[in-house]
Amino acid sequence: MRRSLLIVSAVAVAGVAVLLGAFWLTRELCVRQLGWAGDDLRWLRQEFRLSDAEMARIRQLHADYKPRCQDFCRRIELKKLELKEGLNGAGTNVSASVEQTLAQIGALRAQCQAAMLQHFTEVSRVMPPEQGRRYLAEMRRLTLNLHEQVEASMAQPSASPHDHR
Amino acid sequence: MVRLPQQFTTMTDMHESNEARLRELLRQARPSPLLPPRFQESVWRRIERSECAPGPVTPLAWLDALAARLLRPRLALAGVAALLVLGGVLGAAQGTAEARQSARAAYLSAVAPNTIR
Repeated sequence: MRRSLLIVSAVAVAGVAVLLGAFWLTRELCVRQLGWAGDDLRWLRQEFRLSDAEMARIRQLHADYKPRCQDFCRRIELKKLELKEGLNGAGTNVSASVEQTLAQIGALRAQCQAAMLQHFTEVSRVMPPEQGRRYLAEMRRLTLNLHEQVEASMAQPSASPHDHR
Repeated sequence: MVRLPQQFTTMTDMHESNEARLRELLRQARPSPLLPPRFQESVWRRIERSECAPGPVTPLAWLDALAARLLRPRLALAGVAALLVLGGVLGAAQGTAEARQSARAAYLSAVAPNTIR
């Protein structure tokens, strides 16, 4: 009986080890083969099944857009530092300069988002129409929905502890 | 070897002959029903089956039977193959989903940094 129990236990452990081993190995292989691999645009090709010509055009658009995006980000970061300093020196009051900095950050973000949406539109035009529509919807969902959800939850009366009434 | 007298052997023959006739007559008087085809074979099969029939199943006997079955090379090989395939399919599905997720995150952080999202 003891021998049988030992055999059954050993077989069960070996079976679990084989299953987990195969799972881990194929998972790693897939992640390495299909993952990021240093190319930011790889997802586009995989998800929207783009041709080499379409990818080349999108790479060009991406290369043009990226410095503008980085410039916006840098300017926003500088304004955020300015805001931090203003808040540290303002004590308990929100000073006029802090309000002004907040408005500037908002304006910069709006410009940056407008540029980003413009870029998405340009990229979608390079894709086949159906894929382009899907790409645009997906990018809008991923980049703008977060704010929409927050605003929607805040707008609902008594839905959140932060009541505006 | 003892030699039987001629008269005695003749009587024995007659006796055997009578017995055979008697057996024949009895058989004709009480005819046995016709047996179904392959009757003898099926009887032997039933005997064999009853001899091989398992006794009452106890957990210990079940464990022994399971252990014996698991050690059969053909079954063990089939089990390992099935586990490899199952693990491979599940791993591929998981890996593909993770790869897609990380590739999408990389694209998103390139075109829409967290600062503006």
